[in-house]
Amino acid sequence: MAVNWLRKFASRSAATVFPVLGRQGEAALHRLALTPGIELVDSPRHASVLLVAGEIPADRFEPLRRVHDQLPHPFAVLWFRSEPWPHLEDVTRIDALDALPEALIAAHRELLLGRRDSASRILPDEPPNPWEGLGDFGQGGEGMMGGVPYGRPMAMNMMDDVRDGLTLDSLSFRLGPFYPGLPPGMAAEITLQGDLVQMWSTQLAPYPRALDPVFFAARERPVPIAELELARAHHHLRRLFSALRLAGLEGASLSALRLARELSPGSRLDGLRRRLVRSGFFRLSSLAGGALEAEQARQLGGPAARAAGLDDDLRSQDDGYRRLGFAPVTQSAGDTRARWQQLLAEIEQSLQLARRAERDKACTERMDSIETPRGPWLEQLPQDGSSLLDELMPGLEWGDALATVASLDVAAAERSLGEAPA
Amino acid sequence: MIVDQLILPLLMVLVTLSVGAYIVAVLDRLMAGAFGAPRGGNVWLAPLTRGAWLLTQHANATEAPDWRAWRLAPALYLALAAIGLAVMPWSASLVATDLVTSVVLWGSVEALATVVIFLHGWSANALLTLIGGYRYVALGLSYILISMFVLIGVALPAESLQFTQVVASQEGLWNVLRQPLGLPLFLIVGLGMTFWGPLDLADSTDLAGGTASEVSGPPRLVWDIARAAMLVAFSGVATTAFLGGWLGPWLPGPLWVIVKMLAVLSVLLLLGRWLPRLAPERCVTLMWVVLLPLSFLALVWAGAVALWE
Amino acid sequence: MELVALLLILLIGLGAGLLIQWLPMRHQPMPTWPQRAPFLGGGTPDSHAWSRYHVRYYPMTLLLIAFEMEMMFMYPWAVVFVEKGMMAMMEMGMFLAILSVGIVYAWREGVFKWQ
Repeated sequence: MAVNWLRKFASRSAATVFPVLGRQGEAALHRLALTPGIELVDSPRHASVLLVAGEIPADRFEPLRRVHDQLPHPFAVLWFRSEPWPHLEDVTRIDALDALPEALIAAHRELLLGRRDSASRILPDEPPNPWEGLGDFGQGGEGMMGGVPYGRPMAMNMMDDVRDGLTLDSLSFRLGPFYPGLPPGMAAEITLQGDLVQMWSTQLAPYPRALDPVFFAARERPVPIAELELARAHHHLRRLFSALRLAGLEGASLSALRLARELSPGSRLDGLRRRLVRSGFFRLSSLAGGALEAEQARQLGGPAARAAGLDDDLRSQDDGYRRLGFAPVTQSAGDTRARWQQLLAEIEQSLQLARRAERDKACTERMDSIETPRGPWLEQLPQDGSSLLDELMPGLEWGDALATVASLDVAAAERSLGEAPA
Repeated sequence: MIVDQLILPLLMVLVTLSVGAYIVAVLDRLMAGAFGAPRGGNVWLAPLTRGAWLLTQHANATEAPDWRAWRLAPALYLALAAIGLAVMPWSASLVATDLVTSVVLWGSVEALATVVIFLHGWSANALLTLIGGYRYVALGLSYILISMFVLIGVALPAESLQFTQVVASQEGLWNVLRQPLGLPLFLIVGLGMTFWGPLDLADSTDLAGGTASEVSGPPRLVWDIARAAMLVAFSGVATTAFLGGWLGPWLPGPLWVIVKMLAVLSVLLLLGRWLPRLAPERCVTLMWVVLLPLSFLALVWAGAVALWE
Repeated sequence: MELVALLLILLIGLGAGLLIQWLPMRHQPMPTWPQRAPFLGGGTPDSHAWSRYHVRYYPMTLLLIAFEMEMMFMYPWAVVFVEKGMMAMMEMGMFLAILSVGIVYAWREGVFKWQ
């Protein structure tokens, strides 16, 4: 009776959703972040609903199985624009973005009211390695460090610290591809000593990021610059959203998202910029690391390169842009802080260009070279640059490392699947 | 006698603790709404329904946690918050436990908070929780000295280590004016010991929830309540030490305490929503190189003023 | 009596914290092994997390001890401060000055960096 009452009461709580992103699944995330009654959480332990958003490539099935089984009982699984695995029972598939929030809230409610069974576990209930009964005391090993107590070996010292050469235990693990602090789809093998990255090797590149269709149209015919620039600002603002969320500025991150949603040539960035400056984001946050060298910056291209002082921007070769008085903005430091300053400056510039272009009805003129928000597009679309992180990460503190990853747009660019974002 | 001296203090603390934790949750939601979180649902009901949900969710386990420590850490943190609430006076006579050394006791609560938070991170035997605990110790070691100097500062004019005496010594002028550096420094300590907002190095988003990233269900509920209760206890102590506790015209003493505590809580929650999380390294340097010397200055100032008066 | 009350509050606080955890968890089965694996966004660790890890702020902890010792003198000092007047002020001033030199030295040596 009492339990029943408790469950009824609990069913009125916000639906806690852990998102697992597939290809181009970010649209769902951005929608849900602004939906009341839904709380996006960073750890599956804090969730009651697992949302699989977007198609998951086959090489990420195994990690998905692991995360699926890490939600505490009771939990529900929803597949958004993604084909549920055939062997699962009781799966819900949603395709319409507008129906998603309600479906998530309903799943949470039904789960707590007992009208829906908790999803069943996929992986067999076995420890990572057999250990019980092994060793003198059944502890799974011999001596102090040997064997696999509870199914795992103990940490061992393997390398000297990169900062001071002290040899202590280092912890090696694979992070991702569903870690909320990394770009969607990215996985890396990392070795830490303390909270300092010793080694970083990117194992799965992040999913290619969808480019707005207008960039593809610009390859075929002149398009209004206003449209192109708004799409660019939109792209940058959504990246700003995830970085600010990571930095603990939830309110500001949501206003970046709102700005992106209601973007028009009349939009102003001043409010958000003022908010960031006043909150001390540029001074207090973990923004110290990740300085790119000239060669690395050139390789990556785009805003990251301009933040490192290179003034390469294909827009300056376009007569349409030249007539609007376009000149690339650059920073010099090339580190994470400079990249965010650069991004804010570029969003502002894009909005300005959009306003002028709308007034003059300006269109692009060159079709063979387009500056995408990710970088230059000459013969081919900007390619994945995540291997760059392997050189950049070692020596960074954990917070600096994740902030650096967030500030670098390393994902390749691709055509958007299905419907175009607004 | 037993009722007067044991049961009543206990009830007082328990009521303050639960009501206070609830109010923190409500205030924080209101604050989040003001800072742009999507509004919807009932702000007053949301903390309760969330609590109910956590009670029905199963508790997670890790492969080989230190079970005792893992379950004890949230409870200990809650107990520490209760101790903090026990020593803060509501009026000259209404104090749960009016120890002569209550300032020292609060100091030890602050020090033990670091231990408990580290324990919470360490005992789960998982990478992200461990980093959370590890980082937090650096912060904990830094804020504790600032807090000590600032608190000693308020003990000087009172000539006592008793919080009721500290309030009594503010009859003429509240410490917030008499020692202008004290309260701002102490507020930073408050954010630190509840790892709130800019000083949330323990349970941060870049660690997927840090020390709490592996807990779910009831243990997480206790951890959340304890954290909110600690914030309440802290605001009580800040009120006592700097805002003249129960002193004030027109209203009865305890009401003044509540008003002042709410003010302190609002400032803390506002700072929590407004500022980004500090980089750990930067945070430590800031604490030792800037804020600690400032707290020396606050102490010297407090001493000079106390002698002059 | 105050200490007894304080002890009672401590115990009840602790007890409440444990009870809220224990009561709903009594009947819960142990989670499966895959659920118990640490959350790493789908990744796996090579080893247990418990390790002899690098305390990068270690020199800072030593500095803290110096100050904590000082605190022990400071509590009684605070009580008699007004009574003793200027003398107490000078004494503690000297003490703090010496410790401040320590901080400046430590800062120069980079103690507050994650080294």
